[in-house]
Amino acid sequence: MRRVAVTGFGVVSPVGIGREAFWSALAAGASGIGRITRFDPSTFAVQLAGEVRGRLELPKAVDEIAGRDPKVGFAFAAAAEALASAGNPRLGVKSLLHLGTSLETFDLDALVFDERRDFRSIVEGERPLQVSLDTAGELIRRYFRDMAINGSGPFILTNVSACAASAQAIGHGFHAVRSGETELALCGGFDSMVNPLGVGGFQLLGALSTENDRGESGCRPFDASRSGAVLGEGAAMLVLEPLEKARAEGRTVLAEVSGCGSTLDAHGLSAPDPEGRGAERAMRAALADAGIAPEAVGHVNAHGTGTRLNDEVEAAAIRRVFAASWQRLPVSATKSLTGHLIGAAGAVEAGACLLALVKGLLPPNPWLRKVAPGCELDHVVGTNARAFDGEYALSNSFGFGGQNASLVFRRVR
Amino acid sequence: MPAADVVVTGIGMVTPLGATAAESASAWDSGGSVQSAPVPELAGTSLAHLRAAAAQPLDAAARLGSRKMLKYMSESAVLGCVAAHEAVEAAGVRRRFDPDRVGLYSGIGMAGASLADALPALAASVGPSGRVESRLMGERGLAAANPLMSFKILPNMPGCLVSITEGIRGPNLIFTPWEGQTGAALAEGWKAVASGAVDCALCGAADNPAHPAILVHLARSGRLPSGQHVAAAAAYLVLERVGTARRDGHRPIASLADVTIEACDEEPSDPLSGRMGRSFAAAPAVLLALACALPSGAPRVSIVGVDRQRFSAAVGGRP
Repeated sequence: MRRVAVTGFGVVSPVGIGREAFWSALAAGASGIGRITRFDPSTFAVQLAGEVRGRLELPKAVDEIAGRDPKVGFAFAAAAEALASAGNPRLGVKSLLHLGTSLETFDLDALVFDERRDFRSIVEGERPLQVSLDTAGELIRRYFRDMAINGSGPFILTNVSACAASAQAIGHGFHAVRSGETELALCGGFDSMVNPLGVGGFQLLGALSTENDRGESGCRPFDASRSGAVLGEGAAMLVLEPLEKARAEGRTVLAEVSGCGSTLDAHGLSAPDPEGRGAERAMRAALADAGIAPEAVGHVNAHGTGTRLNDEVEAAAIRRVFAASWQRLPVSATKSLTGHLIGAAGAVEAGACLLALVKGLLPPNPWLRKVAPGCELDHVVGTNARAFDGEYALSNSFGFGGQNASLVFRRVR
Repeated sequence: MPAADVVVTGIGMVTPLGATAAESASAWDSGGSVQSAPVPELAGTSLAHLRAAAAQPLDAAARLGSRKMLKYMSESAVLGCVAAHEAVEAAGVRRRFDPDRVGLYSGIGMAGASLADALPALAASVGPSGRVESRLMGERGLAAANPLMSFKILPNMPGCLVSITEGIRGPNLIFTPWEGQTGAALAEGWKAVASGAVDCALCGAADNPAHPAILVHLARSGRLPSGQHVAAAAAYLVLERVGTARRDGHRPIASLADVTIEACDEEPSDPLSGRMGRSFAAAPAVLLALACALPSGAPRVSIVGVDRQRFSAAVGGRP
């Protein structure tokens, strides 16, 4: 089987647009969380989110759609950066485009069709009613494909495995390149649930922090005072290619993807398996896929949502998987800075992992002051990045509904 | 890859032709076609000609053996869970396989999100301007909402509900929203079984594109040509290696080979559309399930989705 290189990475996030801005903020423990500005949240119990700030440079046609569905713009910009950093390869017949995301964006007015309203004005009007989840993929294909192949490629996949979606997309792209099924995979995720329906839906479930006066420190994974997740938005894309080919063609290799594990809890929709068995199996499967022992892993970027249920269960699962090494296995939790990007979370956090390998630094979890009982791990605390020289890093993504995915990245020496 | 070794050992279907695999296959084989109905919300509009066919009525609690999870299920999730359960029961998955070694590969249509469940929250948020106002949603819309709304709206939930109701804990993928995505789910399940990555794969999809907003979107985007109607449907298949089936004395229904997905520049082509209607994401799974279930099933099935991605597979008789 072939080894798989990450040759490109692009990101749009609440802590910065573009790879360097993203990494600088993570390394400095700078949060992108604040009061919601995308809509008036004053009547919502939840008023915090990690929003993308700054304007994206987008082609006019993409910008028009991004005006109705911001996540499409995030996806396009992240894909453009990833491809540019990989030397601008074109997407061909043997390419794969696999994107994770979550919820369709609808014109909310168009959904109100009860007897009190006249649906005719919506039907006969010209306002677009929704932006399909495949729109971002179609736009990326249109702008970045090899023009010589007409309409016959690349194959597009849109993955909706909730918080595990983009980690699954990267894992699937990795397996496709490793097996020789594809020569280039552009994979990752894009999302924004920072809209009334998204925030409202999660508010109803009690999954989000309502401590609005906490501002930038609203999300505090593994802390005794944690009070829930904070939604974020953005996108991240990775370009994956065979390692030998990338080296032969002189491309910069950021890191290798060396393993992916995917499991289901089969337990409940909103709460993880209380024993964390699904999470544990995902991590073990990723290590087995990479062909390494737990002790080889030098860093974990946790799913770390800041919810009561997730953090304790995940910490316990990490302690079991890394039974011999967990006390000296540094754990970051970058949702403390970015918020929870749902369908894009796995890709953004995979980016944090691979940049940790590139830069030799681990992002801190700056709001972690008192570790919650049951959450004991070797947390990267404070506001400074910790030096890191390990060979392997693991990124966890555990989804609402019980979908789990873990990815293993390897440093290129 | 030992492709010829992959067999189908369980099928489940809920379609406008029948509430089970046997009913659907029998109705299809005897030349049946579905009755579609106008969509009331579109009456008096330029899209009044659009029609939808519902799946055959069924008692989901009885079929699933429990009503415990029904409150979390969108209409698509109900169809998917019932079809998946029928397939799992037919193949004896629960008694034959380690759940950690059973994979789930699903497709879900745009209507995986149960838009009707968002209606109370939205209707209560309509302001004097006649438009939904975020201020009002916070003030009174959310209070009017079903607290379980998110479970019915998030598109991964139909697949996750299958995993919970059937106890499936292995590798998984959930794709959306068109035919090509379900084709990819079927192909991934087939590959996972053929390569030994899993011992058993439950593959399929559900879709219910009859919501008026979705119909408007489909019509405006050219994905629902005039004269065609939509259909609610779901189908799941259980795949395993022939050696496993033989070991357990379980008789395969059909063999499955040469399962492929590819981007193409052909016009969309759904062999089911004339008699059953367009079920979009569900269509490749229904097509494959029918080909496997029918003695006279097509040896090769192929469908080109509205996403211009082609799914095809070779179906053999009982090995």
